Amino acid sequence: MRSAVMDEKKAAILQEIPRLRRYARALLRDRDSADDLVQDSLERALVRMDNWRTGESPRRWLFTIMHHLFIDQMRKVSRRGEASILSLDATEALATPATQTESVASREIVDALQQISPDRRAALVMVAIEGFSYAEAATMLGVPAGTLMSRIARGREELRGLLDDQARRRAIRIVEK
Amino acid sequence: MTARSFTDRDIHLALDGELPEDERAAYQMWLEANPDMKAKSLRFAADNAALRNLFAGVLEEPVPSRLVTAVNGDGPRRKQATPWWRMAAAAALLIAGGVGGYLAGMSGIGMGADSDDRMAQLAIAAHQTFAADKNRPVEVDGSDQAYLTGWLSKRTGLTLVAPDLTKNGFTLLGGRLVPANGSTAALMLYADAEGNRISVYVVAEGTERSKGTFTLASGGPEAVYWQDEGYGCAIVGTLPPEQMGVVAKDAYKQLIAGAGLARS
Repeated sequence: MRSAVMDEKKAAILQEIPRLRRYARALLRDRDSADDLVQDSLERALVRMDNWRTGESPRRWLFTIMHHLFIDQMRKVSRRGEASILSLDATEALATPATQTESVASREIVDALQQISPDRRAALVMVAIEGFSYAEAATMLGVPAGTLMSRIARGREELRGLLDDQARRRAIRIVEK
Repeated sequence: MTARSFTDRDIHLALDGELPEDERAAYQMWLEANPDMKAKSLRFAADNAALRNLFAGVLEEPVPSRLVTAVNGDGPRRKQATPWWRMAAAAALLIAGGVGGYLAGMSGIGMGADSDDRMAQLAIAAHQTFAADKNRPVEVDGSDQAYLTGWLSKRTGLTLVAPDLTKNGFTLLGGRLVPANGSTAALMLYADAEGNRISVYVVAEGTERSKGTFTLASGGPEAVYWQDEGYGCAIVGTLPPEQMGVVAKDAYKQLIAGAGLARS
């Protein structure tokens, strides 16, 4: 199928890459792991091009693919106990110039986001950062609207608690000095 | 008019633009009447804004070329047709024949280009740093080769295999990523029964076709390397030259074959 339709589809997919990268970065933090996830998603999308109906925005289709890969990856990580390898990558990423410029506050938010369970993180990021509606997010995540809502509510509560803990710890450190 | 009662769940709905238009005024009044709920709502709104600001910059970043290639290439890279230059490199290797002759005859070829020297130096530096580390020479061990090579392939942009060097007495310890001259290289480490270690350094870099051997002026391990446009590999170790040549050639042939390049 080397046709004009194919080229059009590819062009539409290319346009979505910045959005996909942002979603992946919020899910995984480390830039290279995030881009790996995007690359996996794009490769899978290309082999399944037929599943994408013409005329439909590729955004939701691509986000759905990425979400499945993300959840698979999270399961594998916990099953194989490779969390240490992944967290090592994340630690190393802190040494790169790009992340060095992160302020303490933004690093704390990123850290807190990473500690939220993957399901809640995905729901929160889709709605709060990517701006999808509840209906869209529920479809992409493959859960009922009620489940999505409670994931968002719990995710926000959890995030707030983690940020408060960090702030408290920071205050204690300052006092100790 | 009986306004419905609100709960903190409505704070999320309001924040995410999911609260129906005709309920918004009543919601605002409820917030004003409940300072705790109002504080909560302001806090969630602030966290939300912080999250959004934090990742806004990602949209402005240049898209990495590997992602564009993933879409524009004819399917995944590993299924692409063999680039002519890799076929040529493989063919040249097969023609080179005996390894002794190869090492003797080729060590000077292509030495004019700086990039291959640079690659060999980096490969030697990586070998000296990591092969010498008794306890933690690798980042990911060799027990799950598919995982290891998948990870390294992705990060280097190459289709990598871990060469099987058991018939030369070397088993795979594992691999890690190391810096290259402006990109990232894969380093795979092997050990034999005596504890000798060799490393295989592979990178998607190179300017022109060259091959040779390289040793630092100060002595130390030797690198046997191959390079072409966009591809380079170096096998580094301190074995006797004949054995080094045999192992290096074996590793190189498998790397090329694994990348789907040697079936010419």
